[in-house]
Amino acid sequence: VSGSRAFDARVFLWVVRHGRRLARIPTFPYLFDALLLAWTSLTRPSRVAAMELLEEKALQIDGVTLRTHRFGGIEFHHETRGELGHVHGHGLLDVRLTRKLAGELIEKGRVRGHHVFPASRWISFQLEKKEDVSYAIQLLELARQAVRRECAAASHFPRERSA
Amino acid sequence: MNNENTPSRPFIQRKRWLRWLAGMIVGNLTIAILYYGTGLLLRAIPYESGGDLILWPSFFLVPMFGGLVASYIWRRLNPRISGTIGGAVGTTLLGIVGAAIVFKEGIICLIIFSPLLLVVILAGTLIGRIWFKGDPTLLRCSVLPLLAVMAIGEPLTRTNQPRVVTDELVIHASSAKIWPELTAFPTIPEPPAFWLFRIGLPYPQSTTNVGDFVGADRRCIFSGGAVFKETIAEFVPRVKLTFDIVQIPKDPELMGHLSPTRGEFRLRDNGDGTCTLIGSTWYTLHVRPLWYFDWWTQYIFRAVHLRVMEDIRRRAEAAS
Repeated sequence: VSGSRAFDARVFLWVVRHGRRLARIPTFPYLFDALLLAWTSLTRPSRVAAMELLEEKALQIDGVTLRTHRFGGIEFHHETRGELGHVHGHGLLDVRLTRKLAGELIEKGRVRGHHVFPASRWISFQLEKKEDVSYAIQLLELARQAVRRECAAASHFPRERSA
Repeated sequence: MNNENTPSRPFIQRKRWLRWLAGMIVGNLTIAILYYGTGLLLRAIPYESGGDLILWPSFFLVPMFGGLVASYIWRRLNPRISGTIGGAVGTTLLGIVGAAIVFKEGIICLIIFSPLLLVVILAGTLIGRIWFKGDPTLLRCSVLPLLAVMAIGEPLTRTNQPRVVTDELVIHASSAKIWPELTAFPTIPEPPAFWLFRIGLPYPQSTTNVGDFVGADRRCIFSGGAVFKETIAEFVPRVKLTFDIVQIPKDPELMGHLSPTRGEFRLRDNGDGTCTLIGSTWYTLHVRPLWYFDWWTQYIFRAVHLRVMEDIRRRAEAAS
């Protein structure tokens, strides 16, 4: 892990873990994400290229549009299934799956637990280069299917959902 | 077969560049108009009577809104992330050049302000890129209450309290040798090493002193003929020299941004033939966000202190 890579990851993790109150300050998440993106474009242009390709490919998934994520970054939003995932300014893609699926993928080693909620249905995948995009798209597709299954299950078990 | 109504590729390329440029110009014009409006409002409403509620937006919200407007102009170009970053950099550069020419802002101030301006404009352009990608006519009202909270919230937590920056340096000489060197000193022969001094920020050159008593006038002379007029407030030989800064030069880098109010040299005998020289400057910042500009102010004052204190150290050690 190179110095600059470790630096942006360290800064990001420090802010999201210790400065979570900052996210409540209006527009702070957008400013922080812009700062991350500016830094990434200087130190890791390949990540920015991968983010651009991911955006292009994600928009080809049926029903997916882009939104600004409430904690900064680009959100991949499905018209009926809500948020599938989001990518932060330094190329960290967070995807919402099922707990079981998240656990299986983490065990395989290519993704890791979410940077704030490691034992949740969210997983994190670091984009480094364009070659990573096909896997990232697979994750978003899995998220779409996972949310669909979740919605179907919730319709059978409405109490569990509300809990 | 070519359709006569289809524009040629170079024409389309030219139009793309024109649209990029138009976004940068319109974004900056928006910023300039909103800044001008803020200035007019501040004249009408004094700072103490709530004018500071208006000042805050001029630092974050106005450039962010400028970025948003630029993105609206660029929306048909369907810009990618890298294109948006390039557009934000262009908008920032154009803004910096415009501020230097139109508002006669100091170059150093603009250099200090530019990273912050870039990030804020970039945030605006990135938000706009996503917003206007979908339905460009959609009005995003949800952000307006947030901006209002931001505009009102920050001044409530703001204080204009004096701040201080302090530096220490160990000198291998007695206080008797050091003291004469710090009350007044001739021109510092060393060229400045600090990068901002090299590119034009005034740096300390010499100090004159009309006498060693409370109330005596001092002059701290900086490069470019900038003179800080000072009056000695405390004078304890070999221990402490405190002076109030009564007049600062009319420099665009300082005016309205920063008020240095007091300076001090203290000597602490370490009991081993060395002394610690402690230099402090008290100041009040008038620009926001405080955390950002305070970092820069301390960074610059530290360089000023060290240039003077290093010279005192050299002369005192040479004399002992």
